[in-house]
Amino acid sequence: MLDQYRQAIGQHRARIYSFAHYSLRAKEDAEDVTQEVFIKLWQHWQKIDHSKLGGWLMRVTHNAVIDHVRKQKPSQIHLDRYADVDQQSATDDQAKQLDQRAFKDQLQVAIKALADPFRSIMIMRDVQGLSYADIQISLGMSESQVKVYLHRGRRKLRDNPNLRRLFDSYVKDETQSNKVVATGARQAANDKGKTHAK
Amino acid sequence: MPNNSESQCYFVQLQIDSFLDGELSEVQRDDFTSHVKQCDGCAREFHYAQMVQDAVLDLPQMDCDELVLEPVYRLASGGHSTSEGDRKFSWSQIAGLFNAAPVFLRYGFPVVLLVVLAVSIGAPVFSPEQNAALMTEQAAIEQGEQYSPAELYQALQDLNLAIEYLNKVGQRTEVLIGDRFLVTPLQDALNASFERAGNRRSRSLQDDPLQNDPI
Repeated sequence: MLDQYRQAIGQHRARIYSFAHYSLRAKEDAEDVTQEVFIKLWQHWQKIDHSKLGGWLMRVTHNAVIDHVRKQKPSQIHLDRYADVDQQSATDDQAKQLDQRAFKDQLQVAIKALADPFRSIMIMRDVQGLSYADIQISLGMSESQVKVYLHRGRRKLRDNPNLRRLFDSYVKDETQSNKVVATGARQAANDKGKTHAK
Repeated sequence: MPNNSESQCYFVQLQIDSFLDGELSEVQRDDFTSHVKQCDGCAREFHYAQMVQDAVLDLPQMDCDELVLEPVYRLASGGHSTSEGDRKFSWSQIAGLFNAAPVFLRYGFPVVLLVVLAVSIGAPVFSPEQNAALMTEQAAIEQGEQYSPAELYQALQDLNLAIEYLNKVGQRTEVLIGDRFLVTPLQDALNASFERAGNRRSRSLQDDPLQNDPI
């Protein structure tokens, strides 16, 4: 039994931890959730239908994450203040070219800021690549509900002002650089024409 | 209706996710691409959605540190050492130490262990309750030895008086009970019974032809 339990942990630990990591702000919280989930797995080992273990684990993880988010509520104001600072710095850095790393960091912050179940469904589907059927089992929703929440969640994510600002600055820079390239090319062509004329 | 009308842009932008997921039919896909090629706003929105989607899909699957799961393994194995290898090592280490010890220590150790066990088992034979009872008894004996003969004589006289009084009370109670509940009713019942028996006997003697036989 212990061997089977260890095997189950080995099989599902990354998925559990990833879900918690992308859902919660602090790494320690994600670790707490992972521990909590596997302790619950041990406690309920005899009662669980092992053919649906993945779904059961994701459901327990989802609930544990929600509990953690609820516990974190008082510090939300503090975190939002940091978000404002981020926003300000993003405004200041508009001239900078889009950095993929910065974009991904901001993306993670934006995902964590999404409300549930948008966040959970996005992580399960887009980050972890779970099937709609698995998400249905994990969250107890119909497939159509999952799809609706997923699409809304993506739109909400794209509406994140910091992400959009980063993208806008990238597009502006790209346009400017294209203009520079185009001007340079035109200039070069002109020069070429002049030399040819000479 | 122009191609890049607001309503068309709205519907095309609603279809971005479905397009990225490959959920649109061929006709819908053609309409979508033809509109996006013509409309700068939708092209920009599509580019942004694609970029976000790619970044989300690129997010790596994370894994926690082994130390995080250490308490979980410990709990599952009943609070003992988590890894099998460690456990084997500890047992073999103990066995090695035992074998390496001198002979007198190797055989002396079980003897000492037995002695310790015997002492620890023997100690509870005289439990605290028993000890207290013994001490009380001892104290009573010691106190008894302190009474003088005159005091003992007086105590015996008091006891005799008490017994005599109780006997009198007992006799009086017996008479009362006898009068009221036992003696009188019982005597009356017995008398009545004897009377009835006498009557029956005399009647039977009168009725019996053999008894009246002159022979």
